[in-house]
Amino acid sequence: MNTHKPAWKNVLLAHETILLVVLIAEWIFFDAIGRNFGTYDNTCDILRHSCEIGLLALAMTPVILTGGIDLSVGSLLGLCAILFGKFWRDAHMPIPEAAACTLAVGALAGGVNASLITLLNLPPLIVTLGTFSLFRGLAEAITHGVDTFTDFPSSFLFLGQERWLGIPAQAPVFIGALIFFWWLVHFSTFGRSYRAIGFAPEGTRYAGIPVGRRVAMTYVLAGIVSAIAAIIYTARLGQAKADAGNGYELYAITAVVLGGTSIFGGIGSVYGTLLGVAAIAVLQSGIVHALQPSEMAGMLTGALLILALTASVLPKMISRLRQRKSALRLAKQNT
Amino acid sequence: MRKYFRELSVTGALTLLLLALAIFAPSFYSPQPLLSLAANASVSLVVACGMALVIIAREIDISVGSMFAVCSVCAGLLAAMHWPLAAVIAATILIGAIFGGFNGGLVAGLGLPSIVVTLATMVTWREGLQWLRQGQFVNLPDGVQWFGLSQKSGQWTLVIGALVILVLMALMMKHLSAGRYIYAVGSDAEVARLAGIPPKLTVFLVFVGIGALVGLAAIMNMVQSPQVDPQSGTGMELKVIAAVVVGGVAISGGRGNLWGVFVGLLLLVCVGPALIHLHIEAYWEKAIQGVIILLAVVAEGLRR
Repeated sequence: MNTHKPAWKNVLLAHETILLVVLIAEWIFFDAIGRNFGTYDNTCDILRHSCEIGLLALAMTPVILTGGIDLSVGSLLGLCAILFGKFWRDAHMPIPEAAACTLAVGALAGGVNASLITLLNLPPLIVTLGTFSLFRGLAEAITHGVDTFTDFPSSFLFLGQERWLGIPAQAPVFIGALIFFWWLVHFSTFGRSYRAIGFAPEGTRYAGIPVGRRVAMTYVLAGIVSAIAAIIYTARLGQAKADAGNGYELYAITAVVLGGTSIFGGIGSVYGTLLGVAAIAVLQSGIVHALQPSEMAGMLTGALLILALTASVLPKMISRLRQRKSALRLAKQNT
Repeated sequence: MRKYFRELSVTGALTLLLLALAIFAPSFYSPQPLLSLAANASVSLVVACGMALVIIAREIDISVGSMFAVCSVCAGLLAAMHWPLAAVIAATILIGAIFGGFNGGLVAGLGLPSIVVTLATMVTWREGLQWLRQGQFVNLPDGVQWFGLSQKSGQWTLVIGALVILVLMALMMKHLSAGRYIYAVGSDAEVARLAGIPPKLTVFLVFVGIGALVGLAAIMNMVQSPQVDPQSGTGMELKVIAAVVVGGVAISGGRGNLWGVFVGLLLLVCVGPALIHLHIEAYWEKAIQGVIILLAVVAEGLRR
């Protein structure tokens, strides 16, 4: 039945369009009631504060598209942050070298997730729950729970705290990641296979696509991106501690699901995720600028998530009710 | 024997750990700290029993930590208003059941994925509580701590209470039709429906059940200290899910039993104190728990 709908109606009713309207409404609302909300400075602030979660959400999108999930990204961010500090301070590496080693650690950790999930065919939820605990535990064990890395050179802190050509210095990293994941999910054959795997992994395998390798790649990418986010996080706060990125995995998943990606896989888009991240970030900043308690942002995010989900199943439920009604009517006519 | 391979192997691991402790650190077995450990673990055990049912029904609930905090604060406030203890307990269980029913309604009624629904309610309740209470502790009146008993008998009450709940629920899962319904729905909801089992109602009631158990656990936690911490229960969801999974409940639903969950939980809670007694730094606790979870699933994967 949906196929008979005109194309404009499909676009207009698409999840992403509705989310865009919500985002614009948020912006107008907070600009009207909040002090200094719509200024350029605040826009940069929003961008700066949402960069790490945005990166994690981007990497989470292909993972969830394949029907998987990665709970370990927040813990991995913590582990990478303190290893970065360790490489720099204790192993006396220059910053670029330390960053490269951190990325390697991220890829390796993502590889651990990937090989357990794809080689042994284990459920991603449980594997990443295990590594969630393992990575955070390693971070705590390495720092003995108290060690903090600070006094990074100002040339490094530039990445997190200064502006470059008028935009926050970490924005180019985020934009680069955005373009990469946009290309990966929407313009490459990989993206097609992610959706196919999300819909029917067995069917995809019969179609000749190396399901294991494709799925593994999404987890390795998530690991690498967690490492990048860890470096930016360290640069923004100027310190690395074992509790870095605590709870970030849930924010990232929230943003992805809010952006219209189905948690069962198969459906979703990178621009949806981008809108989801933006909607949460604008809400958080707006609440603060409207001088409301910051906890309200969290509550509204949760409510928004449930509303978005309900909105996505309502058309299906209504059409099912209609079908049942017409079937009943037919049955009545026949008797 | 083969059927219970998973439960037996976890029991084996636990026995090894306890034997190692008996040889290298007999101080672990001094009665008073062991009783405190058991009293603490009984709180998690009650929640883990509920979580096992949810996961057997092929759903998941990651909002238990937040529900736990809300129930704890509600119970504390009611107790501070000098309600009789029995009324506080009943009201808290009811509050938990209502919160669980909210999740259950969204999951069963609207057919939304439980992981996302409970993710949303987890954030909403936690932040809502923080907003209303601003992180204030609730001071409890006299006579609430340890149910007004001595510390030792209070701890024994908690441990025995949790074990009674475990046994009753394990018997229900094995011998009552309600328990078999949960296995049936978790194995295949559509087949269960065709067999005349109401899958939606079953899922709804499972969520109500875990809510009520969380309420009870909140009481069991409250009586152990003179104050209620509004941050209590943070991270509880993953700890409990870990115990359930290590205990052999399949995350894909329909498989597992509560004895396994009991042993899995014991294994995980013994790690922390064992590290202290074996003179290993306590910071390794989380890492080792992670390794235990991974080992449990890898063993399962290899056996297949």
